[in-house]
Amino acid sequence: MTKTLKRIAMATGVSVVALGATPAFATGTTAGTAINNTATVNYQVGGVSQTAINASNSFTVDRKIDLVVAEVANLTTSVAPGSTAQVTTFTVRNTSNAPLDLGLAVTQQTGGTATHGGTDTFDVTAPGTFVDTNGNGTYDVGTDLAATFLDELAADTQRTVFIVANIPLGRVNGDVADVMLTAQAFEAGTTGTQGALVTQTAGANTAGVDTVFADIAGVVDVASDGKHSDDDDYTVSAPVLTVAKQSRVISDPVNGTTNPKFIPGALVEYCIVVSNAATGAPANTVNIGDPLPTQTTYETAFGIFQSGTFTGTPGTGTCNADGTAGGTFTATPTPTVSGTLGTLAAGATRTLYFRVRIN
Amino acid sequence: MYKLLLAVAALLVPGAAFAADSVALSSMVFVEKTIADADGKAKVTLHEPKVVTPGDRLIFILNYQNRGSAAANNFVVTNPLPTAVAYQGTADASAEVSIDGGKNWGALAVLKVADGAGRWRSARPEDVTHVRWTMKQAIPVGAQGKLSFRGVVR
Repeated sequence: MTKTLKRIAMATGVSVVALGATPAFATGTTAGTAINNTATVNYQVGGVSQTAINASNSFTVDRKIDLVVAEVANLTTSVAPGSTAQVTTFTVRNTSNAPLDLGLAVTQQTGGTATHGGTDTFDVTAPGTFVDTNGNGTYDVGTDLAATFLDELAADTQRTVFIVANIPLGRVNGDVADVMLTAQAFEAGTTGTQGALVTQTAGANTAGVDTVFADIAGVVDVASDGKHSDDDDYTVSAPVLTVAKQSRVISDPVNGTTNPKFIPGALVEYCIVVSNAATGAPANTVNIGDPLPTQTTYETAFGIFQSGTFTGTPGTGTCNADGTAGGTFTATPTPTVSGTLGTLAAGATRTLYFRVRIN
Repeated sequence: MYKLLLAVAALLVPGAAFAADSVALSSMVFVEKTIADADGKAKVTLHEPKVVTPGDRLIFILNYQNRGSAAANNFVVTNPLPTAVAYQGTADASAEVSIDGGKNWGALAVLKVADGAGRWRSARPEDVTHVRWTMKQAIPVGAQGKLSFRGVVR
Protein backbone atom coordinates (compact mmCIF):
# COMPACT_ATOMS: atom_id res chain seq x y z
CA MET A 1 0.00 0.00 0.00
CA THR A 2 1.36 3.37 -0.95
CA LYS A 3 1.49 6.35 1.35
CA THR A 4 -1.10 8.10 -0.76
CA LEU A 5 -3.33 5.08 -0.57
CA LYS A 6 -3.01 4.90 3.19
CA ARG A 7 -4.03 8.52 3.43
CA ILE A 8 -7.08 7.96 1.31
CA ALA A 9 -8.02 4.83 3.20
CA MET A 10 -7.68 6.53 6.54
CA ALA A 11 -9.76 9.45 5.37
CA THR A 12 -12.72 7.15 5.08
CA GLY A 13 -14.39 8.35 8.25
CA VAL A 14 -18.02 7.34 8.14
CA SER A 15 -20.32 7.25 11.13
CA VAL A 16 -21.14 3.85 12.58
CA VAL A 17 -24.68 2.61 12.53
CA ALA A 18 -25.45 -1.06 12.86
CA LEU A 19 -28.23 -3.56 12.21
CA GLY A 20 -30.96 -3.96 9.66
CA ALA A 21 -29.49 -6.71 7.52
CA THR A 22 -31.43 -7.98 4.55
CA PRO A 23 -31.90 -11.74 4.85
CA ALA A 24 -31.20 -12.44 1.20
CA PHE A 25 -29.32 -15.67 1.87
CA ALA A 26 -30.43 -18.49 4.08
CA THR A 27 -27.17 -18.92 5.88
CA GLY A 28 -24.33 -17.55 3.86
CA THR A 29 -20.71 -16.93 4.49
CA THR A 30 -19.45 -18.40 7.74
CA ALA A 31 -18.92 -15.95 10.56
CA GLY A 32 -15.28 -14.95 10.88
CA THR A 33 -14.56 -15.21 7.16
CA ALA A 34 -12.39 -12.35 5.91
CA ILE A 35 -13.60 -10.73 2.72
CA ASN A 36 -10.54 -9.37 1.00
CA ASN A 37 -11.04 -7.26 -2.11
CA THR A 38 -8.08 -6.43 -4.33
CA ALA A 39 -8.20 -4.21 -7.41
CA THR A 40 -5.38 -3.85 -9.92
CA VAL A 41 -4.47 -1.09 -12.35
CA ASN A 42 -2.47 -1.92 -15.44
CA TYR A 43 -1.35 1.00 -17.55
CA GLN A 44 1.27 2.31 -19.85
CA VAL A 45 3.26 5.48 -19.89
CA GLY A 46 4.76 6.51 -23.16
CA GLY A 47 3.91 3.11 -24.65
CA VAL A 48 5.75 1.23 -21.91
CA SER A 49 3.84 -1.04 -19.56
CA GLN A 50 4.26 -0.03 -15.95
CA THR A 51 4.28 -2.10 -12.81
CA ALA A 52 0.71 -2.94 -11.91
CA ILE A 53 -0.71 -1.09 -8.92
CA ASN A 54 -2.80 -3.00 -6.38
CA ALA A 55 -5.16 -1.77 -3.75
CA SER A 56 -7.01 -3.93 -1.29
CA ASN A 57 -9.20 -3.82 1.73
CA SER A 58 -10.49 -6.46 4.06
CA PHE A 59 -13.26 -6.91 6.56
CA THR A 60 -14.60 -9.79 8.59
CA VAL A 61 -18.04 -11.30 8.28
CA ASP A 62 -19.83 -11.07 11.61
CA ARG A 63 -22.11 -13.63 13.18
CA LYS A 64 -25.74 -13.31 12.23
CA ILE A 65 -28.05 -15.19 14.58
CA ASP A 66 -31.19 -16.36 12.86
CA LEU A 67 -33.38 -19.37 13.51
CA VAL A 68 -36.77 -20.59 12.43
CA VAL A 69 -39.25 -22.77 14.28
CA ALA A 70 -42.02 -24.08 12.06
CA GLU A 71 -44.91 -26.38 12.74
CA VAL A 72 -44.99 -29.41 10.47
CA ALA A 73 -48.09 -30.39 8.48
CA ASN A 74 -50.22 -27.44 9.62
CA LEU A 75 -52.81 -29.74 11.18
CA THR A 76 -54.19 -30.06 14.65
CA THR A 77 -53.38 -33.25 16.53
CA SER A 78 -56.59 -35.12 17.25
CA VAL A 79 -56.51 -36.66 20.73
CA ALA A 80 -58.73 -38.69 23.01
CA PRO A 81 -59.34 -37.63 26.62
CA GLY A 82 -56.91 -39.33 28.99
CA SER A 83 -54.52 -40.33 26.21
CA THR A 84 -50.77 -40.15 26.84
CA ALA A 85 -47.71 -39.28 24.73
CA GLN A 86 -49.61 -37.21 22.19
CA VAL A 87 -47.33 -35.57 19.64
CA THR A 88 -47.12 -32.26 17.82
CA THR A 89 -44.26 -31.85 15.34
CA PHE A 90 -42.00 -28.91 14.55
CA THR A 91 -38.82 -28.23 12.64
CA VAL A 92 -36.13 -26.05 14.17
CA ARG A 93 -33.66 -24.60 11.66
CA ASN A 94 -30.41 -22.77 12.30
CA THR A 95 -30.28 -20.14 9.56
CA SER A 96 -27.34 -18.35 11.21
CA ASN A 97 -23.91 -18.32 9.61
CA ALA A 98 -22.43 -20.17 12.58
CA PRO A 99 -23.18 -23.38 14.51
CA LEU A 100 -25.39 -23.03 17.58
CA ASP A 101 -26.88 -24.96 20.45
CA LEU A 102 -30.59 -24.22 20.33
CA GLY A 103 -32.48 -24.28 23.62
CA LEU A 104 -36.02 -25.68 23.46
CA ALA A 105 -38.92 -24.60 25.64
CA VAL A 106 -42.65 -25.32 25.63
CA THR A 107 -45.25 -22.81 26.72
CA GLN A 108 -49.01 -23.11 26.64
CA GLN A 109 -51.58 -20.65 25.48
CA THR A 110 -54.30 -19.59 27.90
CA GLY A 111 -57.57 -18.79 26.15
CA GLY A 112 -57.69 -17.05 22.82
CA THR A 113 -57.82 -18.49 19.35
CA ALA A 114 -55.68 -21.54 18.75
CA THR A 115 -53.47 -21.78 15.69
CA HIS A 116 -55.84 -24.08 13.81
CA GLY A 117 -59.01 -22.34 14.93
CA GLY A 118 -61.20 -22.91 17.93
CA THR A 119 -60.61 -21.47 21.37
CA ASP A 120 -57.88 -22.71 23.67
CA THR A 121 -59.77 -24.28 26.57
CA PHE A 122 -57.27 -26.42 28.45
CA ASP A 123 -53.59 -27.15 29.01
CA VAL A 124 -51.95 -30.47 28.26
CA THR A 125 -50.00 -32.06 31.09
CA ALA A 126 -46.29 -32.85 31.31
CA PRO A 127 -45.31 -31.45 27.90
CA GLY A 128 -41.74 -32.33 26.95
CA THR A 129 -39.50 -31.75 23.95
CA PHE A 130 -38.10 -34.74 22.08
CA VAL A 131 -35.58 -34.70 19.24
CA ASP A 132 -36.10 -36.84 16.16
CA THR A 133 -32.95 -38.87 16.87
CA ASN A 134 -33.34 -41.21 13.90
CA GLY A 135 -34.37 -38.40 11.56
CA ASN A 136 -37.49 -40.08 10.16
CA GLY A 137 -39.80 -37.18 11.01
CA THR A 138 -42.02 -39.40 13.16
CA TYR A 139 -41.97 -39.69 16.94
CA ASP A 140 -40.66 -43.11 17.95
CA VAL A 141 -41.04 -43.92 21.64
CA GLY A 142 -37.72 -44.88 23.18
CA THR A 143 -35.73 -43.94 20.09
CA ASP A 144 -36.42 -40.22 19.91
CA LEU A 145 -35.10 -38.92 23.20
CA ALA A 146 -36.12 -36.07 25.41
CA ALA A 147 -33.85 -33.04 25.09
CA THR A 148 -33.92 -29.47 26.29
CA PHE A 149 -31.61 -28.27 23.53
CA LEU A 150 -30.42 -29.17 20.05
CA ASP A 151 -26.71 -29.87 20.36
CA GLU A 152 -24.20 -28.37 17.91
CA LEU A 153 -26.65 -27.56 15.14
CA ALA A 154 -24.56 -26.58 12.11
CA ALA A 155 -25.37 -23.54 10.01
CA ASP A 156 -28.29 -24.07 7.62
CA THR A 157 -29.33 -27.40 9.10
CA GLN A 158 -32.51 -28.37 10.86
CA ARG A 159 -33.88 -30.99 13.21
CA THR A 160 -37.38 -32.22 13.83
CA VAL A 161 -38.57 -31.60 17.38
CA PHE A 162 -41.67 -33.13 18.96
CA ILE A 163 -43.74 -31.82 21.82
CA VAL A 164 -45.02 -34.91 23.61
CA ALA A 165 -47.78 -34.38 26.19
CA ASN A 166 -50.65 -36.05 27.99
CA ILE A 167 -54.31 -35.13 27.65
CA PRO A 168 -56.29 -34.79 30.88
CA LEU A 169 -59.28 -37.09 31.38
CA GLY A 170 -62.66 -35.43 31.27
CA ARG A 171 -61.96 -33.13 28.32
CA VAL A 172 -64.86 -33.12 25.90
CA ASN A 173 -65.14 -33.20 22.15
CA GLY A 174 -63.83 -30.01 20.54
CA ASP A 175 -61.66 -28.87 23.46
CA VAL A 176 -58.42 -27.31 22.20
CA ALA A 177 -54.98 -26.90 23.79
CA ASP A 178 -52.48 -24.67 21.98
CA VAL A 179 -48.80 -25.39 22.61
CA MET A 180 -45.87 -23.17 21.62
CA LEU A 181 -42.29 -24.23 20.95
CA THR A 182 -39.58 -21.60 21.40
CA ALA A 183 -36.00 -22.14 20.30
CA GLN A 184 -33.24 -19.86 21.58
CA ALA A 185 -29.65 -19.42 20.48
CA PHE A 186 -26.93 -20.70 22.79
CA GLU A 187 -23.22 -20.94 22.07
CA ALA A 188 -22.05 -24.12 20.38
CA GLY A 189 -18.62 -25.55 21.08
CA THR A 190 -18.82 -28.55 23.38
CA THR A 191 -20.68 -31.63 22.23
CA GLY A 192 -23.24 -32.78 24.75
CA THR A 193 -23.18 -29.55 26.71
CA GLN A 194 -25.46 -26.58 26.26
CA GLY A 195 -23.30 -23.49 25.87
CA ALA A 196 -23.86 -20.03 27.30
CA LEU A 197 -26.68 -17.86 26.10
CA VAL A 198 -25.75 -15.98 22.93
CA THR A 199 -25.81 -12.25 23.45
CA GLN A 200 -25.79 -9.55 20.86
CA THR A 201 -22.66 -7.41 20.68
CA ALA A 202 -23.60 -4.20 22.42
CA GLY A 203 -22.43 -0.79 21.33
CA ALA A 204 -19.72 -0.23 18.80
CA ASN A 205 -18.20 -2.77 16.48
CA THR A 206 -15.33 -4.79 17.87
CA ALA A 207 -12.27 -6.01 16.03
CA GLY A 208 -13.39 -9.61 16.30
CA VAL A 209 -16.54 -11.30 15.14
CA ASP A 210 -19.59 -9.43 16.38
CA THR A 211 -22.97 -11.01 16.97
CA VAL A 212 -26.11 -9.59 15.41
CA PHE A 213 -29.62 -10.91 16.05
CA ALA A 214 -31.51 -11.12 12.76
CA ASP A 215 -34.38 -13.44 13.71
CA ILE A 216 -37.96 -12.54 12.92
CA ALA A 217 -40.76 -12.40 15.47
CA GLY A 218 -42.48 -15.68 16.35
CA VAL A 219 -45.81 -16.35 18.03
CA VAL A 220 -44.43 -15.61 21.51
CA ASP A 221 -41.19 -13.75 20.81
CA VAL A 222 -40.18 -10.51 19.18
CA ALA A 223 -37.81 -9.87 16.29
CA SER A 224 -34.07 -9.71 16.97
CA ASP A 225 -34.15 -11.46 20.36
CA GLY A 226 -32.18 -14.60 19.47
CA LYS A 227 -35.37 -16.67 19.66
CA HIS A 228 -38.09 -17.89 17.38
CA SER A 229 -41.34 -19.70 18.11
CA ASP A 230 -44.34 -21.32 16.49
CA ASP A 231 -47.39 -23.09 17.80
CA ASP A 232 -49.54 -26.11 17.15
CA ASP A 233 -52.58 -27.43 18.92
CA TYR A 234 -54.32 -30.52 20.21
CA THR A 235 -58.04 -30.94 19.58
CA VAL A 236 -59.99 -33.39 21.68
CA SER A 237 -61.98 -35.80 19.60
CA ALA A 238 -64.31 -37.83 21.83
CA PRO A 239 -67.51 -39.74 21.20
CA VAL A 240 -70.63 -37.81 22.21
CA LEU A 241 -72.88 -40.59 23.41
CA THR A 242 -76.49 -40.39 24.52
CA VAL A 243 -78.38 -43.32 26.00
CA ALA A 244 -82.15 -43.72 26.14
CA LYS A 245 -84.16 -46.60 27.49
CA GLN A 246 -87.66 -47.31 26.37
CA SER A 247 -90.13 -50.10 27.07
CA ARG A 248 -93.24 -51.53 25.46
CA VAL A 249 -95.60 -54.18 26.65
CA ILE A 250 -95.84 -57.22 24.36
CA SER A 251 -98.64 -59.17 26.01
CA ASP A 252 -100.45 -59.65 29.29
CA PRO A 253 -102.21 -62.70 30.79
CA VAL A 254 -105.66 -61.09 30.37
CA ASN A 255 -105.59 -59.36 26.97
CA GLY A 256 -102.92 -61.44 25.28
CA THR A 257 -101.24 -59.41 22.56
CA THR A 258 -104.29 -57.24 21.86
CA ASN A 259 -103.91 -53.92 23.65
CA PRO A 260 -101.84 -55.48 26.42
CA LYS A 261 -101.42 -53.60 29.68
CA PHE A 262 -98.55 -53.33 32.22
CA ILE A 263 -100.14 -55.73 34.71
CA PRO A 264 -98.45 -58.46 36.73
CA GLY A 265 -97.50 -61.31 34.44
CA ALA A 266 -97.22 -58.99 31.40
CA LEU A 267 -94.27 -59.43 29.02
CA VAL A 268 -92.31 -56.20 28.58
CA GLU A 269 -89.54 -55.43 26.05
CA TYR A 270 -86.81 -53.04 27.09
CA CYS A 271 -84.82 -51.29 24.38
CA ILE A 272 -81.62 -49.44 25.23
CA VAL A 273 -80.78 -46.92 22.51
CA VAL A 274 -77.21 -45.56 22.24
CA SER A 275 -76.48 -42.71 19.81
CA ASN A 276 -73.18 -41.05 18.88
CA ALA A 277 -73.54 -37.44 17.73
CA ALA A 278 -72.54 -36.57 14.18
CA THR A 279 -69.67 -34.49 15.55
CA GLY A 280 -68.42 -37.23 17.87
CA ALA A 281 -65.45 -39.46 17.36
CA PRO A 282 -66.11 -43.17 16.78
CA ALA A 283 -66.71 -45.00 20.05
CA ASN A 284 -65.07 -48.39 20.30
CA THR A 285 -66.38 -51.29 22.33
CA VAL A 286 -69.55 -49.73 23.65
CA ASN A 287 -70.58 -51.97 26.54
CA ILE A 288 -74.00 -51.87 28.14
CA GLY A 289 -74.95 -53.16 31.57
CA ASP A 290 -78.56 -52.92 32.75
CA PRO A 291 -79.51 -54.04 36.29
CA LEU A 292 -83.16 -55.20 36.18
CA PRO A 293 -85.84 -53.74 38.45
CA THR A 294 -86.66 -56.14 41.30
CA GLN A 295 -90.28 -56.27 40.19
CA THR A 296 -89.30 -57.95 36.95
CA THR A 297 -87.92 -61.32 35.90
CA TYR A 298 -85.62 -61.78 32.94
CA GLU A 299 -87.27 -63.68 30.05
CA THR A 300 -84.70 -66.31 29.16
CA ALA A 301 -86.78 -67.71 26.32
CA PHE A 302 -86.48 -64.44 24.35
CA GLY A 303 -82.80 -63.76 25.03
CA ILE A 304 -80.80 -60.63 24.33
CA PHE A 305 -80.32 -58.93 20.98
CA GLN A 306 -77.48 -56.49 20.24
CA SER A 307 -76.64 -53.89 17.58
CA GLY A 308 -80.18 -53.52 16.30
CA THR A 309 -81.27 -50.50 14.30
CA PHE A 310 -83.63 -47.81 15.42
CA THR A 311 -86.18 -45.67 13.62
CA GLY A 312 -87.24 -42.29 14.89
CA THR A 313 -86.17 -40.32 17.93
CA PRO A 314 -84.76 -42.27 20.88
CA GLY A 315 -87.35 -42.45 23.62
CA THR A 316 -90.34 -42.39 21.24
CA GLY A 317 -89.15 -44.14 18.08
CA THR A 318 -89.20 -47.78 17.11
CA CYS A 319 -86.70 -50.38 18.16
CA ASN A 320 -86.40 -52.59 15.08
CA ALA A 321 -86.33 -56.35 15.66
CA ASP A 322 -83.14 -56.83 13.68
CA GLY A 323 -80.51 -57.27 16.39
CA THR A 324 -78.05 -60.11 16.67
CA ALA A 325 -78.54 -62.59 19.46
CA GLY A 326 -75.82 -62.37 22.09
CA GLY A 327 -75.07 -60.72 25.39
CA THR A 328 -75.23 -62.27 28.80
CA PHE A 329 -77.57 -62.37 31.77
CA THR A 330 -76.19 -62.77 35.27
CA ALA A 331 -78.65 -63.53 38.07
CA THR A 332 -76.41 -62.71 41.04
CA PRO A 333 -75.76 -60.58 42.95
CA THR A 334 -78.10 -58.29 41.00
CA PRO A 335 -79.93 -59.60 37.96
CA THR A 336 -78.17 -57.76 35.15
CA VAL A 337 -78.31 -57.82 31.36
CA SER A 338 -75.02 -57.04 29.59
CA GLY A 339 -74.10 -56.65 25.94
CA THR A 340 -71.86 -54.82 23.52
CA LEU A 341 -72.55 -52.64 20.51
CA GLY A 342 -69.04 -52.80 19.03
CA THR A 343 -67.87 -49.61 17.34
CA LEU A 344 -70.34 -46.77 17.11
CA ALA A 345 -69.45 -44.40 14.28
CA ALA A 346 -70.26 -40.69 14.32
CA GLY A 347 -73.98 -40.18 13.82
CA ALA A 348 -74.79 -43.86 14.35
CA THR A 349 -77.52 -45.27 16.62
CA ARG A 350 -77.64 -48.87 17.83
CA THR A 351 -79.86 -50.75 20.23
CA LEU A 352 -79.81 -53.59 22.69
CA TYR A 353 -83.13 -55.18 23.56
CA PHE A 354 -84.46 -57.97 25.79
CA ARG A 355 -87.66 -58.91 27.55
CA VAL A 356 -88.80 -59.26 31.17
CA ARG A 357 -91.99 -60.40 32.86
CA ILE A 358 -93.65 -58.23 35.50
CA ASN A 359 -93.86 -60.02 38.82
CA MET B 1 18.19 26.61 1.62
CA TYR B 2 19.99 23.76 -0.09
CA LYS B 3 17.07 21.44 0.56
CA LEU B 4 14.62 23.96 -0.77
CA LEU B 5 16.62 24.30 -3.97
CA LEU B 6 16.65 20.56 -4.36
CA ALA B 7 12.93 20.40 -3.91
CA VAL B 8 12.35 23.07 -6.52
CA ALA B 9 14.71 21.28 -8.85
CA ALA B 10 12.76 18.08 -8.40
CA LEU B 11 9.60 19.81 -9.50
CA LEU B 12 11.24 21.05 -12.63
CA VAL B 13 12.63 17.69 -13.76
CA PRO B 14 10.53 16.25 -16.61
CA GLY B 15 8.38 13.29 -15.51
CA ALA B 16 10.29 10.06 -15.52
CA ALA B 17 8.53 7.46 -17.60
CA PHE B 18 9.28 4.73 -15.04
CA ALA B 19 8.49 6.68 -11.91
CA ALA B 20 7.25 4.42 -9.14
CA ASP B 21 3.86 5.06 -7.61
CA SER B 22 2.90 7.29 -10.45
CA VAL B 23 -0.64 6.00 -10.31
CA ALA B 24 -2.48 5.82 -7.01
CA LEU B 25 -5.31 3.39 -6.46
CA SER B 26 -7.46 2.89 -3.40
CA SER B 27 -10.14 0.36 -2.69
CA MET B 28 -12.90 1.04 -0.21
CA VAL B 29 -16.01 -0.82 0.76
CA PHE B 30 -19.19 0.40 2.40
CA VAL B 31 -22.24 -1.40 3.70
CA GLU B 32 -25.48 -0.07 2.34
CA LYS B 33 -28.28 -0.08 4.89
CA THR B 34 -31.86 0.84 4.27
CA ILE B 35 -33.43 2.41 7.32
CA ALA B 36 -36.79 4.06 7.77
CA ASP B 37 -36.56 7.77 8.58
CA ALA B 38 -38.89 9.63 10.93
CA ASP B 39 -41.56 9.84 8.23
CA GLY B 40 -41.33 6.10 7.62
CA LYS B 41 -39.69 6.56 4.25
CA ALA B 42 -36.88 4.19 3.36
CA LYS B 43 -33.51 5.89 3.38
CA VAL B 44 -30.31 4.33 2.14
CA THR B 45 -27.21 5.08 4.17
CA LEU B 46 -23.60 3.97 3.80
CA HIS B 47 -21.52 2.67 6.65
CA GLU B 48 -18.05 1.37 7.19
CA PRO B 49 -17.94 -2.43 7.06
CA LYS B 50 -17.89 -2.87 10.81
CA VAL B 51 -20.90 -5.09 11.33
CA VAL B 52 -21.33 -7.20 8.22
CA THR B 53 -23.48 -10.29 8.00
CA PRO B 54 -24.64 -12.45 5.09
CA GLY B 55 -27.18 -10.68 2.92
CA ASP B 56 -25.70 -7.24 3.54
CA ARG B 57 -25.37 -5.08 0.45
CA LEU B 58 -21.90 -3.71 -0.24
CA ILE B 59 -20.57 -0.92 -2.41
CA PHE B 60 -16.97 -1.21 -3.51
CA ILE B 61 -15.37 2.07 -4.52
CA LEU B 62 -12.09 2.35 -6.38
CA ASN B 63 -10.41 5.74 -6.55
CA TYR B 64 -7.55 6.28 -8.95
CA GLN B 65 -5.34 9.24 -9.71
CA ASN B 66 -2.45 9.79 -12.00
CA ARG B 67 0.18 11.20 -9.65
CA GLY B 68 2.93 10.71 -12.16
CA SER B 69 4.24 13.30 -14.48
CA ALA B 70 3.10 11.76 -17.74
CA ALA B 71 -0.24 10.69 -19.10
CA ALA B 72 -1.14 7.04 -18.42
CA ASN B 73 -2.72 5.18 -21.29
CA ASN B 74 -4.14 1.70 -21.83
CA PHE B 75 -5.41 2.21 -18.32
CA VAL B 76 -7.22 -0.92 -17.09
CA VAL B 77 -8.62 -1.45 -13.59
CA THR B 78 -9.37 -5.09 -12.76
CA ASN B 79 -11.18 -6.28 -9.65
CA PRO B 80 -11.63 -10.01 -8.98
CA LEU B 81 -14.65 -10.52 -6.75
CA PRO B 82 -14.04 -12.02 -3.32
CA THR B 83 -15.64 -15.47 -3.29
CA ALA B 84 -17.95 -14.48 -0.46
CA VAL B 85 -19.38 -11.59 -2.44
CA ALA B 86 -22.04 -11.92 -5.13
CA TYR B 87 -21.77 -9.26 -7.84
CA GLN B 88 -24.77 -6.97 -8.11
CA GLY B 89 -23.80 -4.70 -10.98
CA THR B 90 -22.14 -1.42 -11.63
CA ALA B 91 -23.38 1.94 -12.76
CA ASP B 92 -20.38 2.37 -15.07
CA ALA B 93 -21.49 1.36 -18.54
CA SER B 94 -17.90 0.86 -19.65
CA ALA B 95 -17.41 -2.05 -17.27
CA GLU B 96 -16.90 -5.55 -18.59
CA VAL B 97 -17.31 -8.66 -16.54
CA SER B 98 -15.94 -12.18 -16.63
CA ILE B 99 -17.71 -15.27 -15.39
CA ASP B 100 -14.80 -17.66 -15.91
CA GLY B 101 -12.03 -16.27 -13.76
CA GLY B 102 -10.93 -13.60 -16.19
CA LYS B 103 -10.51 -15.65 -19.38
CA ASN B 104 -13.42 -14.16 -21.32
CA TRP B 105 -14.87 -10.71 -20.94
CA GLY B 106 -17.99 -8.90 -22.02
CA ALA B 107 -21.22 -7.30 -20.94
CA LEU B 108 -23.17 -9.50 -18.54
CA ALA B 109 -26.08 -9.67 -20.97
CA VAL B 110 -24.04 -11.43 -23.65
CA LEU B 111 -22.22 -13.94 -21.46
CA LYS B 112 -23.52 -17.51 -21.30
CA VAL B 113 -23.01 -20.21 -18.71
CA ALA B 114 -23.03 -23.93 -19.51
CA ASP B 115 -25.77 -25.57 -17.49
CA GLY B 116 -23.98 -28.93 -17.46
CA ALA B 117 -26.60 -30.57 -19.65
CA GLY B 118 -25.28 -29.39 -22.99
CA ARG B 119 -27.27 -26.19 -22.95
CA TRP B 120 -26.40 -22.61 -22.16
CA ARG B 121 -28.16 -20.08 -20.02
CA SER B 122 -27.68 -16.34 -19.68
CA ALA B 123 -25.15 -15.37 -17.05
CA ARG B 124 -26.54 -13.96 -13.84
CA PRO B 125 -24.87 -11.30 -11.68
CA GLU B 126 -23.85 -13.91 -9.09
CA ASP B 127 -21.90 -15.79 -11.79
CA VAL B 128 -19.49 -12.88 -12.18
CA THR B 129 -15.93 -13.57 -11.05
CA HIS B 130 -14.17 -10.40 -12.24
CA VAL B 131 -15.09 -6.87 -13.21
CA ARG B 132 -12.85 -4.52 -15.13
CA TRP B 133 -12.85 -1.09 -16.64
CA THR B 134 -10.82 -0.18 -19.71
CA MET B 135 -10.28 3.55 -20.17
CA LYS B 136 -10.42 4.61 -23.82
CA GLN B 137 -8.78 7.92 -23.08
CA ALA B 138 -5.38 8.42 -21.51
CA ILE B 139 -5.42 9.61 -17.93
CA PRO B 140 -3.74 13.02 -17.90
CA VAL B 141 -1.33 14.01 -15.20
CA GLY B 142 -3.21 14.79 -12.02
CA ALA B 143 -6.52 13.47 -13.30
CA GLN B 144 -8.52 11.27 -10.99
CA GLY B 145 -11.65 9.21 -11.12
CA LYS B 146 -13.88 6.89 -9.23
CA LEU B 147 -15.25 3.47 -10.13
CA SER B 148 -17.74 1.48 -8.16
CA PHE B 149 -19.70 -1.74 -8.16
CA ARG B 150 -22.19 -3.40 -5.89
CA GLY B 151 -22.15 -6.77 -4.26
CA VAL B 152 -23.95 -8.68 -1.57
CA VAL B 153 -22.40 -10.86 1.10
CA ARG B 154 -23.21 -14.47 0.27
